[in-house]
Amino acid sequence: MTNEFCVFILSNNRHDRVYTYNTLRDKNYTGKIFIVLDDEDKSHEKYVELYKDQVIVFSKAEAEKTFDIGDNFNDRRAVVFARNACFDIAKQLGYKYFLVLDDDYTDFRWSFDHNKKYVTNKYMQNLNKIFEIMLNFYKRTSFTSICMAQGGDFIGGEGSGLSKTFKDGQISRKIMNSFLCSIDRPFQFVGRINEDVNAYCYFGNKGHLFMTVAQLRLEQKATQSNAGGLTDIYLSSGTYVKSFYSVLYNPSSVKVRLMGQSNKRLHHSINWDATVPKIISEKFKNYG
Amino acid sequence: MSIQQKLEMFDEEEKNLIDTTYTKKIDVPLYTPTYKKPRVHELADQKKALQLIQRINSSNVTEEEKLFLKYAAYRHIIFSFSKIADYYAHANKEMQDLMEQSALVIVDFDKAIEYGFVALNDQLSNQYLEEQNDK
Repeated sequence: MTNEFCVFILSNNRHDRVYTYNTLRDKNYTGKIFIVLDDEDKSHEKYVELYKDQVIVFSKAEAEKTFDIGDNFNDRRAVVFARNACFDIAKQLGYKYFLVLDDDYTDFRWSFDHNKKYVTNKYMQNLNKIFEIMLNFYKRTSFTSICMAQGGDFIGGEGSGLSKTFKDGQISRKIMNSFLCSIDRPFQFVGRINEDVNAYCYFGNKGHLFMTVAQLRLEQKATQSNAGGLTDIYLSSGTYVKSFYSVLYNPSSVKVRLMGQSNKRLHHSINWDATVPKIISEKFKNYG
Repeated sequence: MSIQQKLEMFDEEEKNLIDTTYTKKIDVPLYTPTYKKPRVHELADQKKALQLIQRINSSNVTEEEKLFLKYAAYRHIIFSFSKIADYYAHANKEMQDLMEQSALVIVDFDKAIEYGFVALNDQLSNQYLEEQNDK
């Protein structure tokens, strides 16, 4: 693995459940990993006991000054501080490229085979190679950030939105959960929660390119079964409040509507044609 | 299912792998503009913004406040980026340059995205096969 790349795992108050760390090693990622904690995490010493000099602590108060939190609430149990701090941490550690992950990943799987056939039980074996391939693509294009898909993107299996998008030869202009970034392509996560959706809509609207690599999928512990981290803030406000943050940042193209089949819930809904500019071939450029 | 049948199925799967590895077509995620040039007024829906501006104008808030509220009202303009891309394809050089500067379209210069996307798919396909064959 190139020495200009590292992985950050964002964690909070669950030193004994940083599942992602072991999952990465099990899948043969041999490069650098850092566990990123904020300075308000009281379990810091427990993390150091387990992960030694792989633990990096940042100032939440300082991070807060660098971006728009989007509200005047006092609840500071949010991951947006850590996500934004990663750019400075990478710079300080001397890494040009970094992959930001959450701490609850239990597996990495393939979503499609070599013939674009949808698959579910094909497990990745060599994350060194996978990360290298992602990095190759990232370096040769101008994408601001790219990510892997999540298990939840494929609810509905082959009929899921992301599966159809991929099979149609289109890309999902979202980034969620895992973020391949560069210190040379900075952007900000904005809003206390739903910060990933806010970011890809807000900055995507202004011409930043984001993409989900649909073939690659990470699997997480079921939300709301893994206490600590962000679970508490989601339990207290559900997806109702969360979704409105994205409307605040993109009122012309994001709405909140009822979603789901039997268990209805309010969730953001994105009008993509009104959110991100199209990518077109240079052959349409008029050079005069 | 007999062991023989299972083995035959496995052989069939392997055969499919070999036959199709290097023949698959990779779509590239670029938008193809239409032949018809849209009218400028079709590129953005200003209805809500204009309603807001009308209310702002007839309000009693200060001129400075009105100006601020009008800026905010423009956030409600709904752009149609597909129509914008269609328009771009038919626009003159100066208009195209200004559209690019405002990130109304993203031009794939030197096919960086197209080639990058093809390479990404190829490399992932090869990696998938390598991992499955190693098992």
